[in-house]
Amino acid sequence: PVEGSGDANCVDEILKEMTQSWPPPLTAIHTPCKTEPSKFPFPTKESHSFPS
Amino acid sequence: PAEFSSTIEMPDYVVKYMPMVSIDQRQSYKDDFNAEYDEYRRLHARVENITRRFTQLDAKCRKMTPGTKEYQKVQEEVLKEYKKMKHHSPNYHEEKQRCEYLHNKLAHIKRLIADFDQRRAQAWC
Repeated sequence: PVEGSGDANCVDEILKEMTQSWPPPLTAIHTPCKTEPSKFPFPTKESHSFPS
Repeated sequence: PAEFSSTIEMPDYVVKYMPMVSIDQRQSYKDDFNAEYDEYRRLHARVENITRRFTQLDAKCRKMTPGTKEYQKVQEEVLKEYKKMKHHSPNYHEEKQRCEYLHNKLAHIKRLIADFDQRRAQAWC
C-alpha cells in the first residue's frame, strides 16, 4: 500500500501497484443438460489460468 | 510481479477437492462453486473497475512530458483517485487477495468438473 504524500515517486508507486494485470473473470460452470438452455456461449476449453 | 498466489504450496482447496468419482460428487462440487461464484464475480468486477481506471490514468501520464502542467494535473488526478479508492474501498487489498484466492479455487473445481465430464464422455463413446 502506498501512502499519499504528493510527490512524483509516490504517483509512480501508486500506478505500479494499481495497474497490475487483472485477468478476465471465470465463467460459470456449464452443464450439458436438457433443462438448461445453452445461454453460456463459451468453448469447452477454458484458458483463464494464471501465469505461474 | 502480481502472479497469483504462486508461492503458496498446496492450497486448502487442492486437498479438499480431489478428482471426483461420481455424479453426486460432481453436483456437490458444482454447488460449492456456485455458492461462492457470486461473491467472486462481485469482487472481480470491483477490482476490474479500479484497475481499469488507474490503467487509463497511467496511459495518460505516459503520453505527457514530465514537468509540464498537464502532466502535473494527471499526477494529481492519480493521487485524488487513489484517495477516493481508499475511502470507498478501505479493504481493497484484502478484497483483491480474496478474489485471487477464489479465482484459483473456483478454477480448480471447474477444472475437476471438466475433467470428469471429459472422462465420462469418453467412456460413452
